[in-house]
Amino acid sequence: MDDKQIILLYEQRDESAIKETKTKYGAYCLSIATRILENPEDSQECENDTYLKVWNNIPPDSPVYFSAYLGAITRNLSLDRLRKKKATKRTDSVCISLEELEDCIPTGKSIAEEIEAKDLAEHISAFLRSLPEAECNVFLNRYWGFLSIEEIADKYSFSKSKVKMMLLRTRTKLSNHLIKEGFIL
Amino acid sequence: MKSDKLQDAMGMVDEALIERANKIPKKKSKFRHIRWTAPIAAALAIIIGLGVFFSMKGNNNPAILNTYAVSQAEYPEMAKYPASIGGFVYSEEDYDKWRDSLRAQEEYMGQGENLAGFFQSTASEFLGECETDNKVYSPLNVYMALSMLCETAEGETRQQILDLLGAEDIETLRTQAHAIWNANYRDDGAVTSILGSSLWLDEELEYNKDVINTLSENYYASVFRGRMGSNGYNKAYANWLDEQTGGLLKEYTKDASLSPETLLNLVTTIYFQAKWDGEFEARDNTNQTFHSTTGDALYEFMNQRITYGDYYWGEKFSATKKDLRESGSMYFILPDEGYTPQDLLCDKEAMSFITAGKGWEQNKSLRVNLSIPKFDVSSDTDLISGLKNLGVTDCFDMKSADFSPLLSDKTDACIDSINHKARVTIDEKGVTAAAYTELHLAGSAMPPEDEIDFVLDRPFIFVITGTDSLPLFIGVVNNP
Repeated sequence: MDDKQIILLYEQRDESAIKETKTKYGAYCLSIATRILENPEDSQECENDTYLKVWNNIPPDSPVYFSAYLGAITRNLSLDRLRKKKATKRTDSVCISLEELEDCIPTGKSIAEEIEAKDLAEHISAFLRSLPEAECNVFLNRYWGFLSIEEIADKYSFSKSKVKMMLLRTRTKLSNHLIKEGFIL
Repeated sequence: MKSDKLQDAMGMVDEALIERANKIPKKKSKFRHIRWTAPIAAALAIIIGLGVFFSMKGNNNPAILNTYAVSQAEYPEMAKYPASIGGFVYSEEDYDKWRDSLRAQEEYMGQGENLAGFFQSTASEFLGECETDNKVYSPLNVYMALSMLCETAEGETRQQILDLLGAEDIETLRTQAHAIWNANYRDDGAVTSILGSSLWLDEELEYNKDVINTLSENYYASVFRGRMGSNGYNKAYANWLDEQTGGLLKEYTKDASLSPETLLNLVTTIYFQAKWDGEFEARDNTNQTFHSTTGDALYEFMNQRITYGDYYWGEKFSATKKDLRESGSMYFILPDEGYTPQDLLCDKEAMSFITAGKGWEQNKSLRVNLSIPKFDVSSDTDLISGLKNLGVTDCFDMKSADFSPLLSDKTDACIDSINHKARVTIDEKGVTAAAYTELHLAGSAMPPEDEIDFVLDRPFIFVITGTDSLPLFIGVVNNP
C-alpha cells in the first residue's frame, strides 16, 4: 500500500490505517526510538505513541513525505522521553551525537532565547538545501537519525574518516551560518 | 541543555530532505537484513502410513531427494521482507513487491472460520490426557493430513473424515484446504510458516494418478517413489522431514523410516518461525519457582512490561497475548487457582477462547507485566485412539477401510499408525527491563483498572496463531 492510500485511511478514520502504518514503518519507527532511548520497552512505547499521535494529527495534517513525517514524530517523542527520564543520564550514541551538534554553538554562546525552534528549523533547512546532496544526507543521518559513523560510512560506501571530516565541515559551516544570521549570540 | 532547542529544530527540518536522506543510495543494492534469530520456533510432523512401520536410521543428504522425486512441490513465490538499515526504510519498490505478495496470500484468508468445532474437539481429545507431561498439538497440521487422507478414501471411510472436518463434500474440503494452506503460507524472511506435505509411493505398486495429482496440485504435496524399506529411500524420507521442519524434530526424524510393508506414506509438516513484536531482554530474566504438578522447581523466566497489553478472562481462566511481528500472536492462558489445564480443555467456554481467542468480548487493554518461563516442549502422540473417539474408525479397520480411489488394483489397506510429533520453543533476544510482581489471579473477576501482573508460574496452555488467526499450535506446559 502506498503512502497516499495509508493517509487516506487516516482521513477516513479507518483504524486499519494504524495496522498498515505499523506493517510498513513499524521497524523504522522502532529503530529510531531504539537509537535514542536504547531501551526496547521505552522504544516500543514511543513507537505506539507515534501511531496514536499520527491518528490524532491526520487530519488536519496531510503529510507529503509520510516516512519523514512519522520519523520526525518518533524522534521528537523519543527525545522528549529521554529528557524527562534522563536529566542525569543519556544513552551513549545519542549523547555523542548531541555533543557533536553542540559544537555548532561556540563555548560561552547560546541560541537566542526569543528564537522559536520552528524558525530555527526553517533556517537550518535552508542551510541544508544549500549543501551538496551527499553532505546534507550525511549530516541528517547523523543528527536526525542518530546513525553511527560506521553505519553512515557503510551506507554511502565512504571511509569513516571521510564521514567524520564531512560532519566536521558541515557543523562548522552551520555554526558560521547561525552566527551570521543572528541565531547564536 | 543548550542543544535542546537545536535538537528540536533538527526534528522539524524540511521533510523532503529527510525523505532523501532516508533512501539508500542506488549504487548500493545490498540490503542489510534484520536478523531474525528465532525467538519462537515450532515445527511438527504428522505421519500417516498405510502399512506397518519399522525403525531404521535416517541420514541427511539433500541430493538424495532428487533421486526419488516424481515431483516436488513448488510453493508460491514470495518477495522478501524489505529490510531496514540504520533505522531508515528504503526502496518503496521492494516494499510494494513484498506487500503485493502478502496481499496475494491474504486473498485466501477467512476460509477456516467454520473449523472451530474441529479445533475444539480435537484439542480436547489430543491434549486432555496430559496431567504431568508437556503436550503440543497442531490443529492445522492434522487438518491438512486428514484432508489429504480424505482424498484417498471413499464411502463411509471418507464420510467419517468429512464429518469430523465439518465439510459437506470432498470438493468443498479441497477448496477450503487449498485456501487455508495459502492463507497460512509465509516465507519472506520475516516469518516462515510452511505447511509441507509429501507422498511416499512404493515403486512396485500402481496408484491412481488422478488422486496423486489432486494431492500434488491442491495440497502442494511432493511425490516420491522408491523401494519401501531400502536404505536410500529411508534416507531421503528422513532428509525431507528434516528439511521441512528446519531440523527442529531431529530427535524423532533420526529414526524415521519406511517399512517394506508400507503401501503409501503420507506426511504433512508445519514449520513456523516468527519474531516477537518487542523482544524480551535476557538481562531481565529471573530465576523463579514454577509450581508444576510434580513439585516446585526453579526455572528461568522472561519478564516484560507491555504497556498496551491485552487481558482476557473467562469463568475459569485469564489470558494475555504477545504479538509476533508481521504475523499472528501467541496466547498464554492461565487456569484460575483450583483449576488445571485439563479442566480448561474440557470446558466449553475456555475451549472457545483457546480455539478462537480473537474477538473475545471479555477483554481489556491495560498494562501487562508478563512473566513467562522459557520453554522448549515437545511431544509424540499416537492419534488413532483419539480419532476413533471422534468417530473416525473405518480407516483403521482392514475390513471396512475403503481406499479404492488411491489404489488401482483394489488392494486391501488400512491405516496402521498416525503419529503426531511436535515441538515448540520460545526464547528471548537482546535486552529489556521490566519488573514483575507475582499476583495470583481470580479469572472470573474483572481485571484491575490499569495494570496487571501476569505470571505463568503454574501449568498453563499456549496457543500460537498464524496470519489467518487460526491456531497453528496449541500446547500444555506442565514442566517448562
